[in-house]
Amino acid sequence: MPTTAAQLGTKSAALERKVRTGRVGLKRWLGPDYRLGFLFVLPIVVLVLALVAYPFGYAVYLSMTRKYVGLPPVFVGFENYVKLTFDGFFQRAVVNSFVFTFGSVGVKLLLGMGMALVLTSQIRFRSFWTGVLLIPWVAPTVVSALNFLWIYDGSLGVLNYLLVKVFRILPQGVGWLSEAGTAMASVIAVNVWRGFPFFGISFLAGMKAIPGELYEAAAVDGATAVQRFRHVTMPGIRNIVIIVMLLSTIWTFNDFAIVYILTKGGPGGTTMVLPVFTYEMAFGAQRLGEAIAAALYMLPPLAFVIIVLARHMRRGRAK
Amino acid sequence: MDSRLKDLAEKLDAGLIARREFLRKAAVVTGGTAVGLKALEGMARAQSQTKLRVWLFKSFVTAGNDLLAKQIETWAAERKVQVEMDWATFGDREQKFVAAIEAGNPPDMAEMNYQGPSRYKPALRDVTKLAKDVAAVRGGLFPYAERVVNLNGQFFGVARLAFGGGFFVRKDLLDAKGVKLPKVYDPDVVEMAKKTQDPSKDLWGFGQTLNRSDDGNGYMQNILWNYGGGVWDKDGKPALNTTFQKQNLEAIKFSVDTIQKHKIQPPGVMGWTDVHNNEAYMAGKLVSTNNGASLYYAMVAKKHPLAEKTQVILTPGGPAGSYLAAGAYNWGIFNKSKHAELCEDLIRWVEDEKRFDEYTKASIGQAGSVYKSRADKPYWKTDPNFDGMLQNILRSVWVGYPGPFSAAAVEVQAQYILCDMAGRVVVGGLSAEAALKEAHARVEEIYKIRGGKV
Repeated sequence: MPTTAAQLGTKSAALERKVRTGRVGLKRWLGPDYRLGFLFVLPIVVLVLALVAYPFGYAVYLSMTRKYVGLPPVFVGFENYVKLTFDGFFQRAVVNSFVFTFGSVGVKLLLGMGMALVLTSQIRFRSFWTGVLLIPWVAPTVVSALNFLWIYDGSLGVLNYLLVKVFRILPQGVGWLSEAGTAMASVIAVNVWRGFPFFGISFLAGMKAIPGELYEAAAVDGATAVQRFRHVTMPGIRNIVIIVMLLSTIWTFNDFAIVYILTKGGPGGTTMVLPVFTYEMAFGAQRLGEAIAAALYMLPPLAFVIIVLARHMRRGRAK
Repeated sequence: MDSRLKDLAEKLDAGLIARREFLRKAAVVTGGTAVGLKALEGMARAQSQTKLRVWLFKSFVTAGNDLLAKQIETWAAERKVQVEMDWATFGDREQKFVAAIEAGNPPDMAEMNYQGPSRYKPALRDVTKLAKDVAAVRGGLFPYAERVVNLNGQFFGVARLAFGGGFFVRKDLLDAKGVKLPKVYDPDVVEMAKKTQDPSKDLWGFGQTLNRSDDGNGYMQNILWNYGGGVWDKDGKPALNTTFQKQNLEAIKFSVDTIQKHKIQPPGVMGWTDVHNNEAYMAGKLVSTNNGASLYYAMVAKKHPLAEKTQVILTPGGPAGSYLAAGAYNWGIFNKSKHAELCEDLIRWVEDEKRFDEYTKASIGQAGSVYKSRADKPYWKTDPNFDGMLQNILRSVWVGYPGPFSAAAVEVQAQYILCDMAGRVVVGGLSAEAALKEAHARVEEIYKIRGGKV
């Protein structure tokens, strides 16, 4: 049946109404300037897709392949992840990573707090000491690690020289990086040395923001120094402590340079942590698929930490 | 005619400028134009000049590095080719190769170690004709070197040299105690070390790390062979905890005993990397150590007093003989190169006997022979210590021995599995049996992935 002009007009009006309703719906949902909004966010979306999403997606894909240098990848599904899960050497690397991370962060927390408390007290040359204590944080990691490699040297190192020859505390030098009891502790010590000023300076900033009246009121109420620390200082810097700890956990978990330069994960895998394991798998074994799988294995625990951090920061801002 | 000259001529005709001024200004204009044109010509030539990217290995023997660079520069000037040289060290060589190959941007050619041809074969050009030509006029390749570059009948590298080295001994200390040079580790090295060391003065009889390092890898590989064991059987199958279990256990126990029972190694030796024994030896803290010729080079180049007191001898052996793994450094040309013929020409140039002799001389024992005729050169008789280095090279076997050279054998080395095995006993507290079992499982896994092929 032929369509009349009137019928056509009715149809187009209905269509127009539908489109308009849709637009109105979108406008109501996304706001009146949603088109302009899309235009504004487009560059950053493209940038994020190109620089973050694509490489990440490709890494996830490669982690599910058998990929050797110079050859195309062969898809193997979750084989690499399964293999890693039952690999004793990888399991030790996971355990070592947690020992290294939480050992370091724990000590950095204590030292950082101590540093901040000392620097808030009335000491002479406070600015000078603040500057001195920042040196480890400012020094390049590679330089610090190479220095410690020499400091820890069993025969020629300054640490053994001081302990054996100068102070005569030990009868014989210790193989700091070569013995089961000291290797992990030694690499943790370097990470602590390097990282504690960040804790200290952050805590110092938090402590300086606490109004002096609170301490005065607490003192008037008869609070001891410990009580003032517990009931005034700690609540005042609580958020900073959490954020600094979370950030440091992420950084320490991913720390490669210190362990690699000092021990390469040795001896016998005693200090093998996940970043070094990943590196060895990629450039030593040259099994790129498995290396990426090992790297992505770290993702869930790190993602958990990041989510906690982000939620905490959002909550802090809302307050 | 240049418009400026035309203007000047018109002004001269019109009597606006004197003839002298015309000549002066015309000379400036003409000279300036000529200089400009010359510069443009140079720039154009530079742009059209062929550019070759060459990656070289930066060894500790710096005089050798400098000489090789100079030889390449001379070649480039003669062939009117632009060469961009880049250096890789022990620490970043494989990383650079992996990154460049995966990014599709490898150099035109590179100096690779023994692992290169097997690991980067998919990205390398077949250089069979050149490799055979070079070898033919030099008496052929030694077996250990041929296996590294000749992969199933195709050459993926042109062999250049093998790093010489040996067992460095403080002859003065041995003489003072009336101790003979050792031939085997057990008991010779142990007894020598015990008699000559003085821990109270921080002087130790033997310095050999078992830690993750090339030194540790080399020692562990050799000691397994010395005891009649090894990682692979003659068919190239994993044999650590099967065919050679008994022999390998003996070798591990001896190695661990040097630290724990005999106490002839310095504290901290399990934390050493490749440079630590060099430093300790040169600091006078060691009576003996295994090392490449670079240690001797360092002492000779620095006129170190210990250079004269050192004797480099054959690496000690064990109950089953005296074995040593060597691998040929070699030239590889990458598939992506558009200048393969130039690369081949450069390889012929630097491998020319006269130039290689210069390089050998500068390298003070490090440029070990991979070609039979080079081992007969009078150079090797010029220093008593060179003989030990040369003889070590001549009796060398390949990684994977007594089986074939294979990708799996290369990966076992690259992953420091033998070092980890020793480390698990010394530091991890495992029994030798448990460590052997653990290492065997890792070797089996690699064999499953790589197979027995190159």
